[in-house]
Amino acid sequence: MPSYSEINSKLVEVAVNAGEQVLARRGAMLAYTGDVRFKPTVTAGSGVGGFVGRVVRGENIPMMICEGRGKVLYGALGLHVTHVALSNDQLTVEADKLLCYDGTLQAGTVFLGDKGGFKAVVAGQMTGQGLFTTQLSGSGNAVMLSHGPVFVLDVDGQSKVAVDPQAYVGHTGAIDIKLGASVGWREAVGRGSGEAFQLKLSGSGQVFVQASEERL
Amino acid sequence: MATFELDGSRLLKVRIDGETFKALNGSMVAYDGDVSFKRQGIGGQGGVKGAFKRKLTGESLTLMDVSGTGVVYIANMAMEINLVQLAGERIWVEASNLVALEAKLKTDQKFNGLRGATTGQGLFTTTVHGQGTVALLSDGPAIGLEVDQGTPLNVDPQAYVAHKGQLQQNFVTDVTWRTAIGQSSGESFQLRFQGQGTVYIQPAERDAGIDV
Amino acid sequence: MSIQTYTAQSLPSDDNINAYSFCVDVNGEYFTQRGKMIAYYGQLKFEALTAGSVSSLIASAFSAPLYAHDFIVVTGHGKLILGDRGFDINSYTLQDGNLTVRAPNLLAFDPALALKQSIIPGFLTLLGTGRFLASSNGPVHFIEPPVRVDPQAVVGWSDCPSPCHHYDAAYMKGVIGAAQAFMGLGPSSGEEHQFDFTGAGTVLMQSSETVRESEALVREMESQLGLLGTPSLEHLQDQIQQRLGQQR
Repeated sequence: MPSYSEINSKLVEVAVNAGEQVLARRGAMLAYTGDVRFKPTVTAGSGVGGFVGRVVRGENIPMMICEGRGKVLYGALGLHVTHVALSNDQLTVEADKLLCYDGTLQAGTVFLGDKGGFKAVVAGQMTGQGLFTTQLSGSGNAVMLSHGPVFVLDVDGQSKVAVDPQAYVGHTGAIDIKLGASVGWREAVGRGSGEAFQLKLSGSGQVFVQASEERL
Repeated sequence: MATFELDGSRLLKVRIDGETFKALNGSMVAYDGDVSFKRQGIGGQGGVKGAFKRKLTGESLTLMDVSGTGVVYIANMAMEINLVQLAGERIWVEASNLVALEAKLKTDQKFNGLRGATTGQGLFTTTVHGQGTVALLSDGPAIGLEVDQGTPLNVDPQAYVAHKGQLQQNFVTDVTWRTAIGQSSGESFQLRFQGQGTVYIQPAERDAGIDV
Repeated sequence: MSIQTYTAQSLPSDDNINAYSFCVDVNGEYFTQRGKMIAYYGQLKFEALTAGSVSSLIASAFSAPLYAHDFIVVTGHGKLILGDRGFDINSYTLQDGNLTVRAPNLLAFDPALALKQSIIPGFLTLLGTGRFLASSNGPVHFIEPPVRVDPQAVVGWSDCPSPCHHYDAAYMKGVIGAAQAFMGLGPSSGEEHQFDFTGAGTVLMQSSETVRESEALVREMESQLGLLGTPSLEHLQDQIQQRLGQQR
């Protein structure tokens, strides 16, 4: 398995060996040494706006497979990087906040919002963002991106945790997310507190939140 | 009493027990408990007159009331958060640098003298006074600079965050300063502080932060 | 009080106040980039480089006419605090050395150093002995050649030769619409095109920056228009139209 190390708050170095693969968002590779090759690929998922600016609703996210023997430095636009090591675990990350991950992990897409019946609302102007998340499962490394460092919230049976959808980065463990809304007439006409939409979390696990409402 | 605590430098953790505190509209990133949010509209501080004054002064401060029981996490654009304790005095703050304050503190808009039309920041500055904690935002960690008789301080208005004490604030349209200004910066004047007090600045020009 | 507070006397002298700001003890003359002054104590004057009162010795050390507009001379006595877009600021010392740095990231430098324009557009080379300040998007990471770096992640380099452009042909073959991307009609990312560094030296890199409109780069390109004839100019015009049409 490739070895990951956070060089500083914004750069992560991955040492790749023959036979290994690392997948990353296009634009995430900042430098490399050694005999490393990059191959474009697309995921079967979808993303919404942001990131490299080329991803539009419904399109596939352009990804890049890295193979060979050498060291690759990943990062993007001064955003913070957080390394997560999975061991037969599952990590759910907001699609636009995933920088790179090991080829040994299985990736799939989950759309938050189906459960609450708010799909139409979410797709529209109100939240300003869809809630497509990428689910990574198995054993391997992944790196999340965030505007400013992430902080971790523990969720257990006692907590009543709610997260601003734009601040949500990802989660691990057995967490159930429901899109809640306190949409009253005020929110509807833009006079609300701006906290109308919230992700309500229940179950048991950890949530990664960024200290910003900035979309990436 | 609502307790304000920093969790790292960019996150404010406020613990409330059936109380209310005020925060910048939309600055909640997460919470744990039973919490509700209400924008300070007509029903906000100062009633109709207060709301009207805010509109008239062009100050872009929009606060919301956060009430309930639990822990609320407040943040804004991953900016640094700085806590200032007020012991009955008044602090002058750039509206866009205020993120949260205890409900018992009073906010007001004070006329600040004539500023150039280029600032887009209006002629007023927000003030907060009373006893309690104020949370200020800064783009990069804030730096406090003391001013005393004989040692005046000159500040780039885009970097100005807040000030307190017995300070006299002047707008200096120094020709040589204008030479020093880059194209992107809108201000063609400096702020000069004289007297006795402390000025808080941020190590970045407002509205010229890192593009994400 | 959690905010670090200083007086004019207690401010660090020629040192970082925090990672994003630096305090310079000005005593005489000093070059800084426009608009990076946050605050100052004392009596300081800010002058454009072309001003008559600037000594000819100072002016001759500055041999980068395309960038003269971006720098100013600070004179007088006082403590000057510099900051740049919330970027990390670091001070570097050259001992009969050289360092080429991305122009917008060069914050300030000793008049003892000579400043020249690099062959690579958008970069400036500092030579000699003295100190200078450079900013970066996040902490600077030093790496030794051989290495290929995304152009937006390069802050500068020292001692090794200027980099070459590297286009990843193998990658290009696989890209849908490879021809388009290769011609630079789409946004390129570090995977297709990098700066290739070899030799002995150090490369300074950062997490990538959004390519901000660099006035100096525009000026650089404008200055080269004079070298072109009508057919080339018309071709460029087409290219620009296409690019503009693609912007969302």
